[in-house]
Amino acid sequence: MSQQPGKIVYLRFIDLDKCIGCYTCQAVCDFLHDGRPFIKVYETEIGLRTPLSCLHCSKAPCIEVCPTGAMTRDDTGAVYVDSMKCIGCMACLYACPFGIPELDPQLRVATKCDLCKPLREQGLEPACYAMCPAEAIVYGSPQDIGEKIKKRKAEMIIRARTSGPMLE
Amino acid sequence: MRFTWMCKEPRSTVSGRSKLKISIIGAGPGGLAAAGYLACLGYSVEVYEKQPLPGGMMTFAIPKVRIKDETVLIGVEELRDKFNVVFKTNTKVFGNHEPPKDEGDHFIKNTVNLKDIVEQSDAVLITTGTWQSRRLKIPGENGPGVMSAVEYLYEIRAWEKGLLDHHPHVGDRVIVIGGGLSAVDAALEALEQGAKEVILAYRRTKKQAPAGIYEINSLIRKGVKWMELVSPVEIVRKNEKVKGIKLQKMKLGEPDESGRPRPIPIPGSEFVLEVDTVIEAIGEIATPPLVNNFLGIKLDRKNRIIVDEHYRTTNPKVWAAGDVVTGPSFIGNAVKTGLYAAKSIHIHLSNKLL
Ligand SMILES: Cc1cc2nc3c(=O)[nH]c(=O)nc-3n(C[C@H](O)[C@H](O)[C@H](O)COP(=O)(O)OP(=O)(O)OC[C@H]3O[C@@H](n4cnc5c(N)ncnc54)[C@H](O)[C@@H]3O)c2cc1C
Ligand code: SF4
Ligand code: SF4
Repeated sequence: MSQQPGKIVYLRFIDLDKCIGCYTCQAVCDFLHDGRPFIKVYETEIGLRTPLSCLHCSKAPCIEVCPTGAMTRDDTGAVYVDSMKCIGCMACLYACPFGIPELDPQLRVATKCDLCKPLREQGLEPACYAMCPAEAIVYGSPQDIGEKIKKRKAEMIIRARTSGPMLE
Repeated sequence: MRFTWMCKEPRSTVSGRSKLKISIIGAGPGGLAAAGYLACLGYSVEVYEKQPLPGGMMTFAIPKVRIKDETVLIGVEELRDKFNVVFKTNTKVFGNHEPPKDEGDHFIKNTVNLKDIVEQSDAVLITTGTWQSRRLKIPGENGPGVMSAVEYLYEIRAWEKGLLDHHPHVGDRVIVIGGGLSAVDAALEALEQGAKEVILAYRRTKKQAPAGIYEINSLIRKGVKWMELVSPVEIVRKNEKVKGIKLQKMKLGEPDESGRPRPIPIPGSEFVLEVDTVIEAIGEIATPPLVNNFLGIKLDRKNRIIVDEHYRTTNPKVWAAGDVVTGPSFIGNAVKTGLYAAKSIHIHLSNKLL
């Protein structure tokens, strides 16, 4: 069992109140990974479409159970698979509460969202964040995200309180 | 939306690419996603758009509570200013002798023949979406007070941007016919704009509505009145003005071709509902900038452009993507097909450069 390495410098948060279920995040992720998106929009029984991807947990159970240390964190805090170390045992999938890690059938290793590590290394942003038309995907330091989301919720509460019968 | 999410600046090192011109017809999510990819690779990209601003349905139909103009336009400005993508706005492309009338044609200043664009470009991508709506074809439909969801939303969004000098028609008692995303958005917008009563009427039940139970229930919570198992038979007018709509009750029968139970009219169940505005949201139709077989480009029975698995049309110089190929779908579908089409164009032009 490995220790939880690294600091959390950047986080991604998906604001489901803002999400319009448009599949754009999935589309760019699909394109980037040749038809295998690591953020996917699921249509639930009540017809609500909701994106699901790795949450890059701060105390990630997938890292805890990984016997080889392949599941690890990069220096910004993103959880990713070091495919050289991975033996494809999928213990991470058993441990993940959201069923996120997948087996890459060709490479026979676990694979998952790495918040666009190759793009970030060139100074770019995760693609889903860059392209979401509803600004539902937020990416930044944990503090900034906390502030941004709280501000949005405050707007929502005020909107709900001042619309409809309250103004009549 | 950072349409150039895959690069920091255009690649200037690959010799020859900037001399290759790619023309994109239609600046919705499909065309813009493709423009971003191709501009990153260093091609010279020109985008033709009939509206004064790019963005497609994102800036001219979907309510601003869902998508803000700024989110889309920041990415457009980057394409234009940093990546030298040329936007030819207010320009409608057509492919026969007489440009057809579509919805949202208010701001057209120039028309260009597709033939000239194809001749002057190394590759062309068509992403013109679905700018015509299906109509009910019932008595009383023609005249003021009755419009499609796209027409209704379009005027409101144009007015918000300061593009119209008259206030668009909102209505006091508004009925929206349909159960999909456009119907939901039209009902939401009518509420936002202050209509006194908004009714959403659908010929099947909530369970079959393409927009989903959740969306409809959240509209009901916001104050929209939901009516199911009804179908319009006539729009009642007095001195031109809409006074009401005659609806017929329906019941569900055996599943039809779509797999959903077929709505069957109940004879003698007609009733009139007092409304002043009728919004038809029963589906949009693909609007390619050409007629079937123009330049060898083939359309299917639903007017959609026929493409192969690489989004190439039956003209080897022309590709197509987005809703004009798939019919009404989602922004993500337009982005995805636009990107894959752009990649196919890139592969084709790279071979040409060798
Ligand atoms: C009312 C409504 C609500 C919707 N709500 C949602 C939603 O909530 N979520 C979601 O994911 N999807 C939604 N959609 C669907 C979504 O908008 C479309 O799937 C998407 O915009 C398709 O992208 P596109 O690039 O193919 O076409 P479009 O967005 O339609 O863009 C086509 C562009 O081409 C231009 N154009 C057309 N003809 C010509 C011509 N002859 N010459 C020059 N320019 C031309 C148009 O002006 C337009 O800018 C909605 C659609 C409608 C109509
Ligand atoms: S791109 Fe944004 S709005 Fe669209 S499905 Fe993904 S998170 Fe939701
Ligand atoms: S794979 Fe699962 S457990 Fe691991 S960080 Fe992502 S969401 Fe958390």
